[in-house]
Amino acid sequence: MAKDANQSVEGSIRWALVVDLDRCTGCQACVVACHAENNMQIVGEKEAAYGRWTHWIIIHRYWEGEYPNVKARFMPVMCQQCTEAPCEPVCPVFATYHNEEGLNAQIYNRCIGTRFCGNACPYKVRVYNWFRPEFPEPLAEQLNPDVSIRTRGIIEKCTFCIQRIRRTEIDARAEGRSPADGEIQPACVQTCPTSALLFGDLNDPDSRVSQLAHSHRSFRLLPELGTDPGVIYLKGGEVNV
Amino acid sequence: MATGLAPAARRVVIEPFVDPPEETLPGQATWYASTCRQCPAGCGIVVRTINGRAKKIEGNPLHPLNQGKLCARGQAGLQVLYNPDRLRNAVRQSGGRGSRKYEPLYWTEALDLLKEKVASLSHPGRLAFLGGLMPDHVYQLTDRLLAALGAAPAVIYDLHSTLEGRGPAQQLSQAFFGTGDLPVYDLAQSDAVFSFGANLFETWMSPVAQSVAFGSMRQGALSGRGFIVQFEPRLSATGASADEWVPVRPGAEGFVALAIGRIIVEERLGHVGSHRDHAVLYQNVDVGEMSAASEVPVDTLRRLAKAFADADRAMAIPGGYLAGQQNGFASMLAVQALNLVVAQIGRQGGVFLSTPAPTVALRNKPRVNPFSDVLNLINRMNAGEVDLLIIHGTNPVYELPAATGFAEAITRVPYVISFSPFVDETAVWADLILPDHTYLESWGYQVPSPGTDRPVISGQQPVVRPLYDTRSTAQVLIDLAARLGGSAAEAIPWAGEETYLQEMITGLYGSSLGAFDARTSAGFWTLWRQYGGWWSEKEIRREPEITDIVQKPLPMSAPQYFGDPEEYPFHLHLYSSIALTDGRGANQPWLQETPDPMTTVQWGMWVELNPQTAESLGVGDDDIVLVESPYSALEVSVVIYPGIRPDVVAIPIGQGHQDYGRFAQAVTGSNPLGLLAPVTDPDADSLAWGATRVRLLPTGRKKKLARLESLDGQGRESIG
Amino acid sequence: MSEASPNQPKHANHPDQMPEFEERLLLAERKDWEINEAVLQPMFKTGRGFWILVAILGAIVLWGLYAWGYLIYWGMGTSGKNRPVYWALFITTFVFWVGISHAGTMISAVLRLLKADWRRPITRGAEAMTAFALLMAGLYPLIHLGRVWKFYWMIPYPNNRFMWPNFQSPLMWDLVAIFTYLIGSSLYLYLALIPDMAMARDYTDGWRFKLYRVLALGWRGTEAEWHKLHRALGIFSVAIIPIFLSVHSIVSWDFAVTVQPRWHSTIFAPYFVIGAVYSGLSALASILIIVRRSMRLQEFLRSEHFDSLGKLVLVAGMAWVYFWFAGFIVEWYGNEPIVRELIHEEVSGRLAPFFYLQMSANVIPIILLVFKRIRTTPVLLLGTTLLVNVGMFTERALIVIGSLQRNDLPFNWGSYRPTWVEISIVAMTFAGFALLYTLFSRIIPFVPVWEIKEGRLRYTLRRIGRLLVPTAAEME
Repeated sequence: MAKDANQSVEGSIRWALVVDLDRCTGCQACVVACHAENNMQIVGEKEAAYGRWTHWIIIHRYWEGEYPNVKARFMPVMCQQCTEAPCEPVCPVFATYHNEEGLNAQIYNRCIGTRFCGNACPYKVRVYNWFRPEFPEPLAEQLNPDVSIRTRGIIEKCTFCIQRIRRTEIDARAEGRSPADGEIQPACVQTCPTSALLFGDLNDPDSRVSQLAHSHRSFRLLPELGTDPGVIYLKGGEVNV
Repeated sequence: MATGLAPAARRVVIEPFVDPPEETLPGQATWYASTCRQCPAGCGIVVRTINGRAKKIEGNPLHPLNQGKLCARGQAGLQVLYNPDRLRNAVRQSGGRGSRKYEPLYWTEALDLLKEKVASLSHPGRLAFLGGLMPDHVYQLTDRLLAALGAAPAVIYDLHSTLEGRGPAQQLSQAFFGTGDLPVYDLAQSDAVFSFGANLFETWMSPVAQSVAFGSMRQGALSGRGFIVQFEPRLSATGASADEWVPVRPGAEGFVALAIGRIIVEERLGHVGSHRDHAVLYQNVDVGEMSAASEVPVDTLRRLAKAFADADRAMAIPGGYLAGQQNGFASMLAVQALNLVVAQIGRQGGVFLSTPAPTVALRNKPRVNPFSDVLNLINRMNAGEVDLLIIHGTNPVYELPAATGFAEAITRVPYVISFSPFVDETAVWADLILPDHTYLESWGYQVPSPGTDRPVISGQQPVVRPLYDTRSTAQVLIDLAARLGGSAAEAIPWAGEETYLQEMITGLYGSSLGAFDARTSAGFWTLWRQYGGWWSEKEIRREPEITDIVQKPLPMSAPQYFGDPEEYPFHLHLYSSIALTDGRGANQPWLQETPDPMTTVQWGMWVELNPQTAESLGVGDDDIVLVESPYSALEVSVVIYPGIRPDVVAIPIGQGHQDYGRFAQAVTGSNPLGLLAPVTDPDADSLAWGATRVRLLPTGRKKKLARLESLDGQGRESIG
Repeated sequence: MSEASPNQPKHANHPDQMPEFEERLLLAERKDWEINEAVLQPMFKTGRGFWILVAILGAIVLWGLYAWGYLIYWGMGTSGKNRPVYWALFITTFVFWVGISHAGTMISAVLRLLKADWRRPITRGAEAMTAFALLMAGLYPLIHLGRVWKFYWMIPYPNNRFMWPNFQSPLMWDLVAIFTYLIGSSLYLYLALIPDMAMARDYTDGWRFKLYRVLALGWRGTEAEWHKLHRALGIFSVAIIPIFLSVHSIVSWDFAVTVQPRWHSTIFAPYFVIGAVYSGLSALASILIIVRRSMRLQEFLRSEHFDSLGKLVLVAGMAWVYFWFAGFIVEWYGNEPIVRELIHEEVSGRLAPFFYLQMSANVIPIILLVFKRIRTTPVLLLGTTLLVNVGMFTERALIVIGSLQRNDLPFNWGSYRPTWVEISIVAMTFAGFALLYTLFSRIIPFVPVWEIKEGRLRYTLRRIGRLLVPTAAEME
């Protein structure tokens, strides 16, 4: 970022995540990293079988063709941080709202659990806490103090690891500078072995995400809905051997 | 980022804190560099700790192997440390073996007991040590101790190494390059990779390093996008990331490699120039026969041969699946020979060896024993020739095929000692459990194998104070040696494991290669801990010297399977789960809840059937079938899987635990290893875990698997 | 009110002369006190059957309250919802009860404005139905909250953090509309009740007297009081109609403002309103038939009322089919992938049993109601109107639960199975509604006596020469 973080102007940042499908191997490292960073609860087999898992990022797997010419493709799907987010206007208590950095923020404390946002979200990336989270001792020792634990009855979702954004910003400010491009890494981006995930400021024309956003491979999920997502996908290439 | 270079305390928060723990500020994270021990790869990690608690594991960005990246299992390491089912102190089984009733012991008592058991052996040969994924330093101490006692060296067996074909791969290296070091496949710079059953991005060898390389191969290289062709009977997650999947008949992968080689040589494909030197390799190969045996059409073979030969930097990788067949070693030879044909050995984007670090002391690594050694040990146990069995880092009751009879044999050993931090299936049969620290509480080091483009030693240090009254096995061995006195005490003269470690790494201090310089050896020790090990600053590759293997025809060995094809019509394809690997991850809830990438099943276990196979059996998704081999049978839910040969059924390994804690036991199912016939590949003397045939019987019952995906969606991206 | 001479009718002498006239002549031969007695007597007589009914309903309500407590204590996971079916049986039943509540206003406000005289004996029952159905409906927005103890955050109360609810959210519109409608319809019910409370006060003693004295607000029946009452009722009748239209429109917008396929539809508001009227009128007919029999009000609630009500149901039903078809044909021809998938699911897939149930249960009554015999035979009409509500409930379930099982990404599709908690809570509101209605009928005159008396004044027989001529007076 070119500007000094101390004098950041409202609306000058738009956080975005680039997902390069050509690199993604579906290895699930992002999924576990997200669990570790964001204090998600573990629901167990029975609840998971009933669609009540709490992953903030899931890797869709699509089959194409039939044996023997069959292909499988992976697509990580997390909250798309839409600019025109369908989930935002429907919340009766402003538990989900748009912040000035383009993030679709979720205030857990404010959520009363109407699940309206979950219905409104076309990507179905919002997950609900159906029961009280349980962390058998001493698993609770691991919980990240930067992220609150969500009780039953509230919706949660990917935040782009806003706590990591803030931590890096504060550390950078303490050193009298702005965070460099690529310095801020959500947990999934940090761990992704193939660097299929990349995070940065879409409004900064020099950032890697904004350059990749203009790649001929780039597309957004369900563009016909006009949600203007902050997650940019790069199509997987293919070589006909 | 403060990654392990220094505590990140730059700004001091003023808060009353009467008794501050060392290096800790309230609310301020401290990062410790260490080494991941969730698999043998040895990736560097940095662990975020706050107020003495480990909060998050991330890849060490300075580490040359994984370059700041980490896989799902590495991320889940915190749940090993904070696992609610850990043993909290040394215990003796009070109700007899298998009773699962434990009585706590003080460590002095436990060590006395250990010493007494070792000292009272009538002959040192009656002591057996069975090891698995042992950290290098524990293995070296064990080796010294056993040698000093006059006992046989440790027998190393573990399922993970078996599934990735580590033993055969070492022998392949020996056969080709005259060294037991595993080769490094330069994925990053290759532009055409033919992977023969290597699940590069899941569990095989060094998956994170290979994934990092894959990322640059796909989109990072200036020379354009490389492609991967995957040869295997079941489309793995790696196969899904490949550009083409070639479903080969199980065990016939070597034939495909031979045919491709023959076509290249015969038709003088590619840009290598003369193929005259290699003609001898393929003089007995008939492409038509190979095609028929592998069920890959000749046209496909020719097309692939051309693509392979025409690529600038092509590379063939002999994977772990090959090693699971009774002709595995021959197949691996055939695959490695392809690299020779396209002259990619020692070249960029090809095969090379990593340079060892400039210290001899660290080179003694555990090597997987031939499977006959394991069988031999079982025979000795059965014959009553073993009076004391010590087990570290492996869970043989779970990890060996039940048909080997280990579970019966262990009951015939008068005294069994386990170092497992968890009560696993084997520890249940131990009289005495001396729980090791988990890796986040331990000291140690690990030479990654396979390594990378430069010498690397990963350092391991405690990131938190040990949670419980457990004790590191290295320290226990040192204490035992001291108690035993005599030759043992001479062989292991150190006072504690820290001094032992410091002495072991002093050879590195002062090396001009290192990525960091220290003026004093104390300073070196500090930097070693801050960096999380030692590695060369620059890339140093080692070009392999090719042995005379290239001067004779490649062996050709037809695949053999156990079980009558009429009675048992399907090949059983076991594979290690990406999250649970060989079952070691099953006690970590994050890994249990992590969806399998291909089936999207969380928790649970299943059998994968081709849609055609399922239809002929009259079963659908979630129907329970009985999978029956000549040895055993188990019931498991069906997943209809488009990417598998119709004559193959696949079951992931990792579930079916009888013990090993609440999360592992929460999943119903039986250990699929029970189905296996204890057949081996005679060339490599390794377990042929992919050579058993099974039959399927519908049961008419159903059990819903915890899939992420909607079955109604039928795997479609959209329905436009 | 215009004064009309209380002529003694002699319709008994002309049994087949003027059937139409006879119907209009509503109880003309009865004296005022006889009417009062006839209405009040069933209120005071409570047999064993009544108490058994109350006990059963009370038990169901208590069980439902236990289930609700269980739901609150353990979490929403005890219901059958999951991702992506975040709304299910609770919201379905919510929509159903809001729909039921529409008939009260329809009957009493619209018909009052239109001066349809046959409304007179049934307005009280209809208005009570509105109020109680709304009470039941109003429970669901609370029940379905994940954290019901924070429900007050939806109320715009001043607070030191300046935290306001989000008026962009249809749930807030819902809250406002339902509260307004509940207050409006309760007042409306009460206003029309005042003269009857006074009547009851004058006929009772003991605790009932004390109760009615309070409720009657000192009504004495002066000309000025009547005048004010009529004006108030006139104003309310007009004012409540937009509210009544808005409530179900807003309920439909809970769905229609999202991008969920099949919810995102412009026709939803009128379609929901007409559906509400259809189900509400049917429910009213069912209830009146049951009450008529159990409270022996055959004299007041007569076949001509059911005939008219049946005709209204018929019209509403035909309008519903029209709106349904108008929506369906556009979806069908639009052929959007997910909508097409949902239509396939309904027509030939997993949802087919529900779809054919709702279509037959909603369309067959329309055909049946064409026949006067069915409209005027209580048992047949009861069956028909109950069928309509089975159909309408299924239709809501298909819209809410059926649609949510499918969305834009097939990977995320889902399914749903209700649990005992949900079924108990739904049963609780049905039983609660019936219980309130039962208790109400023992305390409040079920038939609006003053309206009947007023109507009686309108139609008289006048002797012109030797002829008896029926006359109708313009009163309001």
